[in-house]
Amino acid sequence: METLNLTRRAALAGGGAALGVALFASRASAQTGPITIGCLVPLTGAGSIYGPGMRDAIAAVVKQVNGAGGVLGQQIQLVTEDDQTNPEAAVRAIRKLINVDKSVAVLGPWASSVAAAVAPLCWENQTLCAIVGSADSITRLPHQGFLIRTQPSISMQAARFGKLAIDLGGKSIYFLGPQTPFTQTYIDVVAKMAHDKGLTFNSQIYDGSKTSFRSEIDSMRQVAPDTVLLGGYVTDIAVVLRELYRANFTSRLIGFGTGVNTSLLQGMPKEAVEGVYAVTPSASLQGSAYQKLAALVGNPAPGPFEAQAYDMINLTVLAIAQAGKATGVAARDAIRTVSQGDGTVVDNAPDGLALIAKGQKVNYEGASGSCDFDQYGDIVAAKFKIERVLNGQITTVEIS
Amino acid sequence: MDSYLIAMVTLAAIYAMMAISLNLSWGLAGMVNLGLAGFISIGAYASGLLTTVLGWPVPLAILAAMIIGLVSGVALTYVTLRLRDDYLAIVTLGFAEVIRLAIVNELWLTHGSDGISGIPGIVAREYGYGFELGTLALALAAVALCYWLADRVRTSPYGRNLRAIRDDPEGTAVAGKNVTLIKVKTFGLSTAIAALAGAFYAHYTSFISPEIFQPLLTMYVFLALTMGGTGNNRGAMLGAFLLIFVLEASRFIAPSLPQFSAVQHAAIREMLVAVLFILTLLYRPQGISPETRHR
Repeated sequence: METLNLTRRAALAGGGAALGVALFASRASAQTGPITIGCLVPLTGAGSIYGPGMRDAIAAVVKQVNGAGGVLGQQIQLVTEDDQTNPEAAVRAIRKLINVDKSVAVLGPWASSVAAAVAPLCWENQTLCAIVGSADSITRLPHQGFLIRTQPSISMQAARFGKLAIDLGGKSIYFLGPQTPFTQTYIDVVAKMAHDKGLTFNSQIYDGSKTSFRSEIDSMRQVAPDTVLLGGYVTDIAVVLRELYRANFTSRLIGFGTGVNTSLLQGMPKEAVEGVYAVTPSASLQGSAYQKLAALVGNPAPGPFEAQAYDMINLTVLAIAQAGKATGVAARDAIRTVSQGDGTVVDNAPDGLALIAKGQKVNYEGASGSCDFDQYGDIVAAKFKIERVLNGQITTVEIS
Repeated sequence: MDSYLIAMVTLAAIYAMMAISLNLSWGLAGMVNLGLAGFISIGAYASGLLTTVLGWPVPLAILAAMIIGLVSGVALTYVTLRLRDDYLAIVTLGFAEVIRLAIVNELWLTHGSDGISGIPGIVAREYGYGFELGTLALALAAVALCYWLADRVRTSPYGRNLRAIRDDPEGTAVAGKNVTLIKVKTFGLSTAIAALAGAFYAHYTSFISPEIFQPLLTMYVFLALTMGGTGNNRGAMLGAFLLIFVLEASRFIAPSLPQFSAVQHAAIREMLVAVLFILTLLYRPQGISPETRHR
């Protein structure tokens, strides 16, 4: 019977501790003073190389705004939770941000799987949510406007991919890529673009873990495309490029920045990668907001996700000020008033807050782009960086 | 605050079902099921698809999910019967991966990695707070039912057979017990409960995608059961609640450690779970509520 006693004791202790946490947390949420904004980013797991930078960018803006007197006369309190790049963990984390901390907005969900999993909790609890996750389907959820996305959707990325192929004079375009959650969207979008222009389009999906793609390349060569879109990552693109070089294949090659980048160049013979193009979503590197972000976080070259995090918090703060009320509904209703329109262009929150306080309209132009949103919450236009491998170096061709 | 606590207890109850499921197969019968997440996803997708695509009523869909879970569990044990314990672990792990890949690739049915959204709640979601409370009550009732069932199995003569198979399968077979049949039946019951947990998860959160059912989920359930007490159904429940308690309570430590960054807070949380597990294994390897010895 000793074991039974212990179980009871453990249960009691557990219950007591739970109550303690409950009391502690309810005391924390009972403070009505500051406006709470939640930050839900990957600090562990696959996305953990990006989450900390995003969090730091958001924290820097919060500090800047609080230093300038806060918003609506209240300070902003930033609460960060780790989404572990895992939708199950993220659902628990956002519950805490919404139900315990009473966050007006939750900023950051990076992975598509995480963003899709937490989205229903945002609209059910009337909390504004700004995400990165790029799967097209997320912004098509019935989110009543509570969702905005600063990252170009997969369709937008695919469209830029296709546009480059067509702009470079491709008449017969071929997509060759591994099976990923996004591959079919790439193919559908580019196929439609090619069809509309009367161009030839073919595609082939391969298993990215294979060590040779000779049969895939042979069947591609029968079509003799003049432009090939490579959908893969570094490991499989390295093999594909070697085999194309060996096969003396000279058509134009275009990849994504996730596949054609400096780590690809390191392990490759120069000749095999020479002339290959790369397309990557880019921050608005020439914009004044990007310069301000760089100065604020003390990093001369912040990445695209830091730029987006910077825009998320600036937009949220401006929307709250514009609405005159710190609630999720008010922020949702005001977000497009401050992100687009004919107001005075601003590139940071304190400037915008000063103008809004004078009753003027503002139009935020961000570090990631102009941050104008359509009815789904998607950005209207995105910046992309087009690069090309020239003399063994990655060279930027243009940012547009 | 209270809706947060309700949500966490509901999730802990769902974990408790998973832990009871694992206790039946691994704790009692010694069949290592590293593919638990696969069976959970079968239940979640079965119930989620039946309600969203075919418009079935939720209770009927959950029942169907359990039957599909049971059938897939029986089928898998049947083909792996001739394998030794450690091979069963590998096969189940592979099985879960096959299920995950099937879900990712069969776009026509599962929408791939976009997942299935808008799954109706067991209680209508429009009730708001009532939905939260109602789902909690039903989840706790389901745990109670699973516990009752699993403990009936454990305390019956059949349960003695299970422990005998776990500790000495050859001896049990020599004693005239139909080891094969007992294993298949128990694994089927266990996977039916795993499917029930998956269905509850789907109807509670309204969204499922293949990334939710990663091997990490299986590991969490193993962790819960080991901490609670392998072989003891009460320990399984206790471990599940303790796991969620530790995972969640550790969030509230962050404000009292302002000297650390957010990244370090996240790391501390993960370390805390690991340390707790190591301490349990060191000082109480039988778990908090260990298996009671029977006649």
